Amino acid sequence: MATQRISKRRKKEESEYFFDYSLLFIVLFLLGFGLVMIYSASSYEASQDFQDAAYYLKKQLVAVIIGLVLMIFVANIPYHFWERFALLGYIVSMALVPLVLTPLGVESHGARRWIKIPGLGLNLQPAEVAKLCMILFLAVLVCKMGKSVRTLKGFIIMILVPMPVVLEVYLITRNLSSAIIILGISVLMVFVASPDYKKFIIMGVGGVALVAVAVFVIVSAYSSGSELAFRSERIVAWLDPESQAQGKGFQTIQALYAIGSGGIWGKGLGQSMQKLSFLPEAQNDMIFSIICEELGLFGAVAIILMFIMLLWRMMVIANNATDLFGAMLVVGVMGHIAIQSILNIAVVTNTIPNTGISLPFISYGGSSVMFLLIEIGLVLSVARRIQLKEL
Amino acid sequence: MLTDNNKIFHRKKILVIFFLCAGILVLLFGRLIYLCVWRSEHYSRLATELHERERSIKAARGRILDQNGAVLADNKTVCTVSVVHNQIEEPEKVIEILCKELELSEEYVKQRVEKYSSMERIRSNVEKEVGDRIREYDLAGVKVDEDYKRYYPYGELASKVLGFTGGDNQGIIGLEVIYEEYLQGKPGTILTITDAKGIEVEAAGERRIEPVNGSDLCISMDMNIQSYATQLAIQARAAKQADSVSILVMNPKNGELYAMVNVPEFDLNDPYRLPEGTDEAALTAQQKQDLLNTTWRNGCINDTYEPGSTFKIITAAAGLEEKVITTASTFSCPGFIVVDDRKIRCHKIAGHGTQDFTHCMMNSCNPALITVGLRLGLDKYYQYFERFGLKTKTGIDLPGEAGTIMHRKDDMGNVELATVAFGQSFQITPIQLITTASSIINGGNRITPHFGVKTLDADGNVLETFSYPVTQNVVSEETSATMREILEMVVAEGSGKNGGIAGFRIGGKTATSQTLPRGSGRYIASFIGFAPADDPQVIALAIINNPQGTYYGGQVAAPVIRQLFENILPYLGIVEYNQ
Repeated sequence: MATQRISKRRKKEESEYFFDYSLLFIVLFLLGFGLVMIYSASSYEASQDFQDAAYYLKKQLVAVIIGLVLMIFVANIPYHFWERFALLGYIVSMALVPLVLTPLGVESHGARRWIKIPGLGLNLQPAEVAKLCMILFLAVLVCKMGKSVRTLKGFIIMILVPMPVVLEVYLITRNLSSAIIILGISVLMVFVASPDYKKFIIMGVGGVALVAVAVFVIVSAYSSGSELAFRSERIVAWLDPESQAQGKGFQTIQALYAIGSGGIWGKGLGQSMQKLSFLPEAQNDMIFSIICEELGLFGAVAIILMFIMLLWRMMVIANNATDLFGAMLVVGVMGHIAIQSILNIAVVTNTIPNTGISLPFISYGGSSVMFLLIEIGLVLSVARRIQLKEL
Repeated sequence: MLTDNNKIFHRKKILVIFFLCAGILVLLFGRLIYLCVWRSEHYSRLATELHERERSIKAARGRILDQNGAVLADNKTVCTVSVVHNQIEEPEKVIEILCKELELSEEYVKQRVEKYSSMERIRSNVEKEVGDRIREYDLAGVKVDEDYKRYYPYGELASKVLGFTGGDNQGIIGLEVIYEEYLQGKPGTILTITDAKGIEVEAAGERRIEPVNGSDLCISMDMNIQSYATQLAIQARAAKQADSVSILVMNPKNGELYAMVNVPEFDLNDPYRLPEGTDEAALTAQQKQDLLNTTWRNGCINDTYEPGSTFKIITAAAGLEEKVITTASTFSCPGFIVVDDRKIRCHKIAGHGTQDFTHCMMNSCNPALITVGLRLGLDKYYQYFERFGLKTKTGIDLPGEAGTIMHRKDDMGNVELATVAFGQSFQITPIQLITTASSIINGGNRITPHFGVKTLDADGNVLETFSYPVTQNVVSEETSATMREILEMVVAEGSGKNGGIAGFRIGGKTATSQTLPRGSGRYIASFIGFAPADDPQVIALAIINNPQGTYYGGQVAAPVIRQLFENILPYLGIVEYNQ
C-alpha cells in the first residue's frame, strides 16, 4: 500500500512538472531538416571525393545520435549537479585550447582549431567546450556574487572573467568568430544578471561606433594602398564582393549567387547548382545559402521562424526557472544559439564581413552539434524543475 | 526564485534579449527578401553565366558567287574531334582509334587524351566521312562537332582576288577580307550546364543559340572570262618565259571587273604550300612567310610599274581637253627632242617625220607627246594628272591597293614633265591605268573599279546592293569621242594592229616599258584595248612582266588581248558589224 501511494504520488508529482515538448520538437525538426540539407548540399561532392554520396550525412548522423543520447542524459540529471564542476570546466577549457598546438591538434581548411580525441576517432573543437563551460561558470558566478553583481566592481569582474578564454581562442586558434560568440554570450549573461541598462547602452553604442571607425579607417587604408591593405581585404570584399570575386569575396559572391538564383520559390530540393563545387563549404558554414537556393525565400523564412520559436521557448523556460542558476544557464544557451544563428545568416547574406560561423543544428560539424545538444539537455533539465502551477 | 519581486528585472532583461534577437532575425529576413526578390535576376544571370559552358557553333560563311551565280567560294562540312577528359571510359581504346582514324602519332593523341582539361581539341578540319566513322565507334568522352571549312571549287582561279580564310574562318586576303562583315555571319553556341570542374551535368540538358549564316556575296567577275583570261595568261607566260602575266577585264562604263588574273596563281585550297621547287628546309620562318606573301600578292593592285606608252592616252586627252592640240595638229619628229639640255630619243631612231596627231599616237611618237606635255606646261599637266584621279587610289574593293609614285610638283622641271608625258619616271598600278583610261573613253566619268555587286540571303533574295562613287566630267564627251577615234586608229592601222580583230571595232594602245634600273634588259610589255571602239563595253589590260625574246607590247601583249576579245566579245553579246 505504501509503495503504491508513493508511486501514485510520484506520478502526480511528475505530471505537475513541466517537460518542454515544443522545444524538443523544434530541436528535432532542425536536426532532421539539417540532415536532409547536409545530404542535399554534400552528396555531389561526397560521391566525387569519397565515392559515397552519404559520406557527410553518415558522419553527421552518428554525431546527432551521440548528441541526442548526451542530451537525454543531461536532461535527466538535476542541473545543480553541474554546479560543482564550474571552476573545473573553466580550467579545462583554458587548458584545452592550447592543445591544438600540440601534436594532438588537427589542421583543417588552413586553420588549427581541432584536437583529436585518442581512441574515439572524433575531432573536438576546444572552442565548443569553452562556450559550454563559460555558460556554466558565469551562471555559477552570478549566483555566488549575489547582490554584489549590481556594483561596478561586480560588473567589471563579470566582464573580465571570460576574457582569458576569449583571448586564448582568438590568439591561439585564430578563431575570431568563436571568440566573438563567447564574448557575446558573456555580455548577454552579464546583461541579464545586472539590473542596469545605461552601462549596456553605452557599451553598445561605443561598440558600434568603434566598428564604424574601424571600417572607415580600413577602407581608406585600402584605397590608399598602405600596409593595412592586406588585412583589410575581407572588409573590402564585404562592401563590394563583386570586386573581389576571385579573392576574399569568392565564397560570399558564390553564396549570393545561390541565394539570388533561388528567388522566392527556390529551385526545389536537390536542385541547387551552387553545391556542384562552386560554393565552398556548402554543407557547412554556407548551408543556409543552399537552403535559400533550393527552397527559396519560404524555406529561409521557415528556418528563421524555427529559430525565433526556439528562442521564445528558451525565454519562457528562463523566465520560469526555479532559481537564478537555472535561468542564467538557459540565458547562456539562448545567447549562444541566438548569436550563432544571427551571425551565420548575416554572413551568408553578406550583411557582415565573412567569418566562419556554422548554423546551429543544421550545419555539418560533429562537435558543434553534440555540444549544442548537451546545452539543450541542460535547458530541458532546467525546464523539468518548473512546477506547472508556476507557469 | 525568479518570481521574487526584486528579481523581476531578470525577466524583463530576458524579454529584452529575446526581442532583440528576434528583431535582428527579422531584419535579416528583410535582407533576404531584398536578395531573393530585388537582386534575384542579377544573381541568377551571373550564376547561369558561371554554370554554363559554351561550345560555339560556327556560322556557315557566305558563299562568293560570280555574276552568273557560279559558286567561287563555298563551304564544306568538316568535323572537329575533341575529347572530354572526365568522360573518357576506355582511354587506351580512344587513343588507338583516334590515332588510326586521324592519322596522328600515338604520343600526340595520348598527351591530349590524358591532359586534365574540360575539353581538348584533337584535330580540326577532319573530313566528314572520317568524323562520321569516329562517331560510329560511340566512344565515351569523344566529341565530334561538325564545322565548316572554306572550299574553293576552282582551286587556283582568281586566287589573289578571292583570297582565302584562316583557321577561324576569317578572311586572310582578297575579297574574303574586304567583305568579312557580310560573309562571316554570327556564330551560335551550345550552352551546357557544368559543375565547377567543368563536368557536364547530364540531367540539365543543353541550350542552343543557332548561328546566323553569313550572306552570299555576288561579284561582277565572270567565271568564264576569268578562266579564259587565266589560260591566255598562262600560255603567254609560258611562251615568253615571263616572270608574271596580269590581265584585267573591266566594264569601262561602271567599273565592274569581269576578270583579274595574276599568273602564277596559287591553290586557294592549299594556300600555305610554297611554290614548287622551293627548298623549304633551308628557309627560316620569316623567309617562308615572306615567300608566301609574295605568292599571295596581287600584282594588279599591290604593285606599281612605269606604264610607258599606254600613258600617252592620258597626255593626249589632257592636250585635247585643254585644246593645245587637235587631231589635225602636225608634229615633226627627227627621232629625238631636246628638252632644256637633255636630248630624249624617240623609239624610232630615224624619226617619224612630219605627221598629224592621230598618226603620232598610231606610231606612239615620243617627241610629239613630249611636245604636247610641254605645251600644256607643268601647272596644267599636273592639274590634269590630279583631275584624272591619278594621285588618289582607285578605291577598289580589294585590300592593299598601292598608291601612285609621282614627282612632287616642286621637284619637277621640263625634263621630268617630258618623261611623264610618255609614261616614264613615275609609277602607277595596273588598276589605276585601266580605271583612268576607262574614264577617258567612257565619256569622261571616273568610275570606281570593283568586284562586289550585292549580297544575297540563303534564298537568293538581295540584301544589299553596293554603289560606288563616280566622278563626272573629268574630260568632256567631245574629248572622249576624239580619244576613242584615235585609239581605234591605233589598233586599225597603227602600233596596236596585233590587237585588232576583223569585223570588230577595237581601240587600244601598246606600251613597252623598261624596268628600273635602266639597261637591265628587263621590260614590261603591255596592251590596253577596248571594244566596241565607238561605244566601249569592255576594256582589257594585259601586262607581261619580263618577257624573253621579243618584248614589244604590240607583239607580245596585243595578241593576248586579241585572243581574249575574239572569245569574249561574242560571249558578251557584242556582235560583229559590217565594215
